[in-house]
Amino acid sequence: MSEIAAETRAPALRVSGVTHAFGAKKALDDVSLTAPSGAFTALLGLNGAGKTTLFSLITRLYENRSGAIAVLGHDVRQQPSRALSRLGVVFQSRTLDLELSVLQNLLYHAALHGIGRSEARRRSLAVLERVGLAARAKEKVRALSGGQMRRVEIARALLHGPGLLLLDEPTVGLDIGSRRAILDEVRRLIDDDGIGVLWATHLVDEIEAADRVVVLHKGRVLLEGRIDDLRARGGSEDVGTAFMAAVAETERPNTAAERKTDTAA
Amino acid sequence: MSLVDRAPVALSERSPDFLPARDVSFGGYLVCMGGIVWRESLRFVHQRGRFLSALVRPLVWLFIFAAGFRATLGVSIIPPYETYVLYEVYIAPGLIAMIQLFNGLQSSLSMVYDREVGAMRILLVSPYPRWFLLVSKLVAGVAVSLLQAYAFLAVAYFWDVQPDSLWGYLTVLPALILSGLMLGAMGLAMSSIFKQLENFASVMNFVIFPMFFASSALYPLWRIQQANVLLWHICSYNPFTHAVELIRFALYGQVEWTSLAVVSGFGAACLLAAIYAYDPSAGLTGRRGGPDAAK
Amino acid sequence: MTTDAPPRRPSRTARLLSAGAAAAALLAFAGPASAEKIFVSNERDHTMSVIDGATLKVVETIKTGRRPRGITASPDGKLIYVCTSDDNRVEVYDSTTHKLVKTLPSGPDPELFVLHPSGNPLYIANEDDNMVTIVDVNTAQKLAEVPVGVEPEGMGISPDGKILVNTSETTSMAHFIDTATNQIVENVVVDSRPRVAEFRADNKQVWVSAEVGGTVSVIDPATHQILKKITFEIPGVTAEAIQPVGVKITKDGKTAFVALGPANRVAVVDTETFAVKKYLLVGQRVWQLAFSPDESRLYTTNGNSNDISIVDVASDKVTKSVTVGRSPWGAVAVP
Repeated sequence: MSEIAAETRAPALRVSGVTHAFGAKKALDDVSLTAPSGAFTALLGLNGAGKTTLFSLITRLYENRSGAIAVLGHDVRQQPSRALSRLGVVFQSRTLDLELSVLQNLLYHAALHGIGRSEARRRSLAVLERVGLAARAKEKVRALSGGQMRRVEIARALLHGPGLLLLDEPTVGLDIGSRRAILDEVRRLIDDDGIGVLWATHLVDEIEAADRVVVLHKGRVLLEGRIDDLRARGGSEDVGTAFMAAVAETERPNTAAERKTDTAA
Repeated sequence: MSLVDRAPVALSERSPDFLPARDVSFGGYLVCMGGIVWRESLRFVHQRGRFLSALVRPLVWLFIFAAGFRATLGVSIIPPYETYVLYEVYIAPGLIAMIQLFNGLQSSLSMVYDREVGAMRILLVSPYPRWFLLVSKLVAGVAVSLLQAYAFLAVAYFWDVQPDSLWGYLTVLPALILSGLMLGAMGLAMSSIFKQLENFASVMNFVIFPMFFASSALYPLWRIQQANVLLWHICSYNPFTHAVELIRFALYGQVEWTSLAVVSGFGAACLLAAIYAYDPSAGLTGRRGGPDAAK
Repeated sequence: MTTDAPPRRPSRTARLLSAGAAAAALLAFAGPASAEKIFVSNERDHTMSVIDGATLKVVETIKTGRRPRGITASPDGKLIYVCTSDDNRVEVYDSTTHKLVKTLPSGPDPELFVLHPSGNPLYIANEDDNMVTIVDVNTAQKLAEVPVGVEPEGMGISPDGKILVNTSETTSMAHFIDTATNQIVENVVVDSRPRVAEFRADNKQVWVSAEVGGTVSVIDPATHQILKKITFEIPGVTAEAIQPVGVKITKDGKTAFVALGPANRVAVVDTETFAVKKYLLVGQRVWQLAFSPDESRLYTTNGNSNDISIVDVASDKVTKSVTVGRSPWGAVAVP
């Protein structure tokens, strides 16, 4: 029972003091951030900011050598099975098997989480229902549009009932309607299931006023707070302008580090 | 044997459809491995081209190459044969091993490919231990290679390339599993170590051809020894030779113990190397350029 | 290089037991050939190898006269006759004790011979003096000599014993000889270098192999017409290497086996359609053939690889090859 209590208390994701380098190049430099349960946290950064590296560490493609990453309180290094079983991921690149049907893709994923066939089938149809694709279950993934594939991937990430949903630039390459539909879907998940969401993006218009935002630039966290904090930091009402201003600031020497402390949420 | 706590996480009023998976139990392990094998088989079945090329390649060797060279093979009785055999009978075990070699490397390529497109990511975010996922992937590859090997044997049967007794088809099974595991593990280890395997031509040039030709697949070792002693040494140490010999003897209901030891040992070493390479803490994946470089 | 246990003859107790409940099981494993023995003449070793039919191991090598070639057995299987060509005689061995029982006169350079179906007399081809010598095996007396073509070799006798066919290698003829009068009744020209003549059990066909011609002529013994000239073609083997020698036809008359010399193959031929059903790979330069007494197996002598190959007749598969002496020439199997 205490375990469950601990899980409920713990944020969906806590990253603290993580530094990661590939050779001489530091991809992440002392990164700390939190994605609470029941909330939408946007991870905002330009391409190459370190978002994908951070996702790779959270999903344990490779291990963080410094700092700590915990999913619902489970350290990914100490308790990888528990952490991963609480985690749903939508990767930036397409990860569906185009040759297989929608349902077959979901059943495969369910098996990877140890969910037996009949239960897997029930869950698969339920999650497809949620994303409005139940009618396409038997179709080959190849026949779906880009937006539909993304929704299938979201459905798949939900199959094992995760407490944290990671999405790495999920709307890249989608038309505006599909983007909107996916954002709405994810926000509905937060409301319905109380799931914690970390949404990596470089598109500021995907962020709403109530969302938490973490700005990552060149491997460092520039800001963690509300969207208003970003506006204040960038000195502009327009979020995009504010973001670019905040990023530009770091190009001046010796400013990023001092700013970081007073912008923490 | 629970790796995670059993109880669902009550985060909020979530619908009963979305309870987290309860257990990473022993049954769950079986489900996981079964799922990986199932997916691999499905993919294989869907890729008819792959199945056809897997079958046609050795059959071309059998029908054309063997027909052309049958007269040039020195006539000599070598174990496990008890009498003179046609060249196509001699090369059949080598061609089966070639099927498995191709299959092992193809699945290793698919690992590289998977890693690119992200399907590998999906595999690796499974809560089961990394080694278990790799072993499952290996088992899946072996299952597919067995399908191919038996399809080849079935066609060869009608070409009069048959073992002494029908039991041979059963006794060859453990050998096929072992050699499939070895070649698959080799592919896995290679997929983790070499990043440039995307180019299948280079795999052909640097792995498949040398392994296949410098082995007992096409010529008996005594024949190679007569031709070139250095080549003979290379062939004798080539693990592929031992995979071929293991299959050859097993088709005749016999065990070639040296080959059994080499195939098991080399297979285990490759598997350990692959597990090490894919291990997130010890492995090479984190040190080699990172996700952006892998694209 | 096989790992079989050394040959063992069953003890008296074992044999008694096997007569009981175990008999069926024993038969299933060892087959009816369990008591069978195969005698192989080794031309260059001047010996005869004795092979146990159950274990397929050489159990004894008997010293014979010089250059043993043609070999046959008495109808009851008790005596083995061997042409010892360079000693110009026929040696007779006891098939149980493997001892020399007696020798028979043969005329010079006997190569191949045939026993009358009744077991007497013996018709011997004398390669060097263009004769067929007829010998009474009981009295060891020459009964007659029949002049034939140059280099006589192949000897076949009709199932009723009335017609003898001799082939002469240089003349390329099959001579049909009436055994009542010992006169040639007809000469049939066949292809170059005829080596062996073999009657079908129903007396409707006699097969004559031509080593250099590369064919087998099937002759009707009644009309002396050639019914069919069978040719052979093996992918990957040159036509020159196809040299038909030994011919054996099953008792049911349906299947003929033809040894093809340096082609290292035995052809399986349907005697009705004359179509070659299969080529079986055996040892090098296969010449003579012999059936096991129950016809479940065919033995081939492979002169250049110094072994005999064993063909399972039911499945038309070569199951094993057994090393014997140097240049095995002929073989005979007795129960």
